[in-house]
Amino acid sequence: MRSPKPYAPHAPLHPLIAKELAEIASGLALWTMLLLVCPLVGFSFIQAVSLYGEASVAAQQSPVLATSLSPLDGILVPTFGAFYVAVTLLFPFVAIRALGQEKEAGALRLLVQLPYRSLTLVFAKLVAVLAAWSLASIPALSALAIWAVVGGHLAASETLNLLFGHLLYGLLVGAIALFAAAISDSSATAAIIALAVTIGSWVLDFTLAGHSGPSAWLAQLSLTQTLRSFEQGLFSTGLVLGIAAVICGLAALASVWLRPGTLPQVKLVRSVPCVLATVAVLAIASQVGKSVDVAEDRRNSFAPADQQVLATLRLPLVVTVNLVPEDPRYVDLQRNVLAKLERAMPNVSVVLASRGRDFADKSPDNSYGEIEYDYGNRSDMSRSTSPREILPLLYALASARPPTSSSGTDYPGYPLIASADVAWLWFLGGLPLLIALGWLWSLRPPSIPASFSEGGLS
Amino acid sequence: MMASTAVRDASSPVLLRVANLAKHYDRDPAIVDVSFSLVPGEVLGIVGPNGAGKTTLLETLAGLLAADSGTVVWQGQQLPPHRRKEALFYLPDGVRPYRDRFAADVISFFASVYRRSEGDVAATITCVGLAPALNKRVRALSKGYNRRLLLAVGLLTPHDVLLMDEPFDGFDLRQTRAIVQVVRDEAARGRTFVLAIHQLADAERVCDRFILLAGGQVRGIGTLAQLRAQTGSPGGSMEEIFLALT
Repeated sequence: MRSPKPYAPHAPLHPLIAKELAEIASGLALWTMLLLVCPLVGFSFIQAVSLYGEASVAAQQSPVLATSLSPLDGILVPTFGAFYVAVTLLFPFVAIRALGQEKEAGALRLLVQLPYRSLTLVFAKLVAVLAAWSLASIPALSALAIWAVVGGHLAASETLNLLFGHLLYGLLVGAIALFAAAISDSSATAAIIALAVTIGSWVLDFTLAGHSGPSAWLAQLSLTQTLRSFEQGLFSTGLVLGIAAVICGLAALASVWLRPGTLPQVKLVRSVPCVLATVAVLAIASQVGKSVDVAEDRRNSFAPADQQVLATLRLPLVVTVNLVPEDPRYVDLQRNVLAKLERAMPNVSVVLASRGRDFADKSPDNSYGEIEYDYGNRSDMSRSTSPREILPLLYALASARPPTSSSGTDYPGYPLIASADVAWLWFLGGLPLLIALGWLWSLRPPSIPASFSEGGLS
Repeated sequence: MMASTAVRDASSPVLLRVANLAKHYDRDPAIVDVSFSLVPGEVLGIVGPNGAGKTTLLETLAGLLAADSGTVVWQGQQLPPHRRKEALFYLPDGVRPYRDRFAADVISFFASVYRRSEGDVAATITCVGLAPALNKRVRALSKGYNRRLLLAVGLLTPHDVLLMDEPFDGFDLRQTRAIVQVVRDEAARGRTFVLAIHQLADAERVCDRFILLAGGQVRGIGTLAQLRAQTGSPGGSMEEIFLALT
């Protein structure tokens, strides 16, 4: 046989990944997105710094006001919020290109004949999508650098946590786009499908926010929910596991639908295990309640001394809430007390006694607003949503000794009066110029060994 | 060049046997019970007019289209569609792989995947005459150079059987003769080719054996001499034989 080497079932991965990276960099979609992200992120960042500075003027006179000034809320979340909008609306086009163009040009029929599994092909494309996301995040990362340069404070844990959340979100959008490209005949159709999911998520989020029952469950499926915990300074193991499961599930489905030559009915049958496995992991993830408060101001936790005492309360605590979920008091209670209790105590369950009741329902109910706490065989009731009143109540129920002091752990806050207006030069000048240079660099012809250029047919 | 020197005799071991391959699009039959076999080093031409089912036959054979029925046996063992890529490599017609990349990038990619040495790559480029187009983007290649690029990709694969759809489309007479020589040289080294060709003159130049396909059905299989005998026209050209059988 002519072939110097027999067919090898496994080929090296690096040429495939290098090809995918070069493919995604050679398209205009990525560079266009990068150019659009610059002013978008720049405007959000400069605006955020300005508002933060205005709030800091009063805060510098009052240490109490200063404690409410957190760069996570004031700078990081708005800056990355603009990046989130770009990833939601523009990134699908970049990710779809990783597969859509090969399908349209017919190159996919060559690609699937190479000695790689379909899943490996999708994995390589996801790596390229990840690289594209990394490039697209440069404007937002540079905004953080500028914030540090003007004297702003960045807490490593909450910053990295937020970045990780956006990374997961970017991969999720990329995986949706790849799956859409895998099931569509054209990139245009894939874009419609991907945007229907991402923009549909927004609609879901806005229309069902604050609802209870099935609507609340449906709202939880919104893509925007994936970022919420990270923006609040929480690292939730269950959430990370759930997002990872969906990304892997979509990648597996894309690999099932990628290969030509398989009947749609067969693809449907092969999709079932992928969907079932994803749902199973999601179910497990929803039961994983472990989350870590990585916010520097520990907004998601009680004071460390309280946390220590609460962790020793091993008996089940049942909290019966006579409020509807749409009630702002319930939102306060959930954020200030219940969520913190669930993280601090080993065994907490919350019962909504008003489930099914409408917030607009004005029928008299004297018990509405009551929150009952059952610990062991003792119980007490309160209408407060403040931990200052509820924690002593719990300590009394558990006959636990309240902590004496939580001094030395207070969050000081980071007021800063600064202007980042000069950053416009970066976001509208320097960075776009670098992006344009990067684009030109990607256009350069490859270096061709001299031996390739000799002889040949006329 | 006539290919009779390379024709394998009947005792050559069968490399690939295709039996009763069939494919329908909705209710229209695209190929109907196609059966044939391949021996190592031969060039088999699937000849027929446009719409005869040549591309469908190649894509079904390569496992890129789901067949309704039929079997493919490789060296005595059944080869299911998902494993066809282990034995066969198919070069489709009308494909411009990686339009925004340079031709050299495409060659380098396939060479790296199959761990080809720089010498192998250089020889392949020289062999198909791709050197002048290496630093051009694929979308800017002429039809002929795009064909050469695809042929180079095919030659870089280690597969024993190459399936090529309209390999001479886009070439002028001189270029066609040169590419025919490339295919013949490869076949002489043991590689087997299945070529879908609608130009009968090109088929006659390059192929050892022919499958005459019309309306998705096989109308004749054999060497030119066998087909002449079948039609009773001893000096008949491929064109005359085709008209007689279809």
